[in-house]
Amino acid sequence: MNPAEVHPTAFIFVGLTIGGALLSVLLRNILHAVFGLGIALAGIAGLFLYLDSAFLAAMQVLIYVGGISVAMVFAVMMAHTLGRRELLVGRRLLAAIPALGLTFTLALVVLSSRFVGSTGVRPDEATVLRSIGKQLLTEFNVAFEALSVVLLLAIIGAIVVAKERKH
Amino acid sequence: MGLQAFLATSLVLFALGLYAVIGRRHLIGILIGVELMLNAASLNFMAFGRFVVSDPTTAQIIVLFIIGLAAAEAAIALSIVLAIYRQRRSIDVTDLEQLKG
Repeated sequence: MNPAEVHPTAFIFVGLTIGGALLSVLLRNILHAVFGLGIALAGIAGLFLYLDSAFLAAMQVLIYVGGISVAMVFAVMMAHTLGRRELLVGRRLLAAIPALGLTFTLALVVLSSRFVGSTGVRPDEATVLRSIGKQLLTEFNVAFEALSVVLLLAIIGAIVVAKERKH
Repeated sequence: MGLQAFLATSLVLFALGLYAVIGRRHLIGILIGVELMLNAASLNFMAFGRFVVSDPTTAQIIVLFIIGLAAAEAAIALSIVLAIYRQRRSIDVTDLEQLKG
C-alpha cells in the first residue's frame, strides 16, 4: 500500500465525523446535540484506526464516547433545561464570520503547503505501543506525573464544586 | 486519502467547534464546541504522526495527553454547570452577567 495514502474507505468515517459535528453544533435540543457529539467522536476513533493506532482508537471510544458523552448526558438531565428556550443566539452571523474566516485562511495555508512525507521504514503498531509505554515513563515522565496530579485535583474539585450545600 | 484530506477534516471540525463556542448560549453547547476543537487538534497530531514523521510515538503520546486533559476539563466544566444550575435555575450564558459593569 502506498504509504502516503490510507484506504479511501476512510471517507466513510470522515462523513460520520463531520455529520456528527454538524448535528452537535446545529441542533436546538441539547440532548440531541450531545448524541451528535458522540457520533463525531466515534468517527474520529475510526479515523485513528486508519492512522495506524488501534490503541488510541480504543482510548477515544473508552474515554470520550463512553465517558465524556455519557457524563454530558447526565449533566443535561440533572440541569433539566431542555428546550426551554432557543439555544442559539440571534447573532449567529457573529459566530459564523470568525469560523468561516478561520476556515478559509487555514485552507489556503494547507493547500499552499508542501509536506515532505516520511521516507524511513515505519515501525509497526506493537513497536510504537511499546515505545509509548517506555517514553511515558522516561522522556515524558514529568508531564505524565503532572497530568495524574491534574486529574486527581479535577476529580476532587468537581466533587467540591458540585456538592449540595446544606444551609 | 492523504494528509491534506485529514487536515481538511480537522479544519472543518475546528471551525464547527469555534462556531458552537461563540454562537451557543447553552453552557453544555459551549462545552461540546470545546470538545470538537480538542478533537480537531488530536486528529491533526495523528495525521502528521502518520504521514510526515517516521516515528509516530511522540504524536500519539501528545494525543493521549490531550484526551486526559479533556477528561479533566469535562469533569470540572460539568460540575460547574451543575453548581450554576443549582444557584440560578438556568444555564444560559446570557443570564450569567452579574459581573457586567
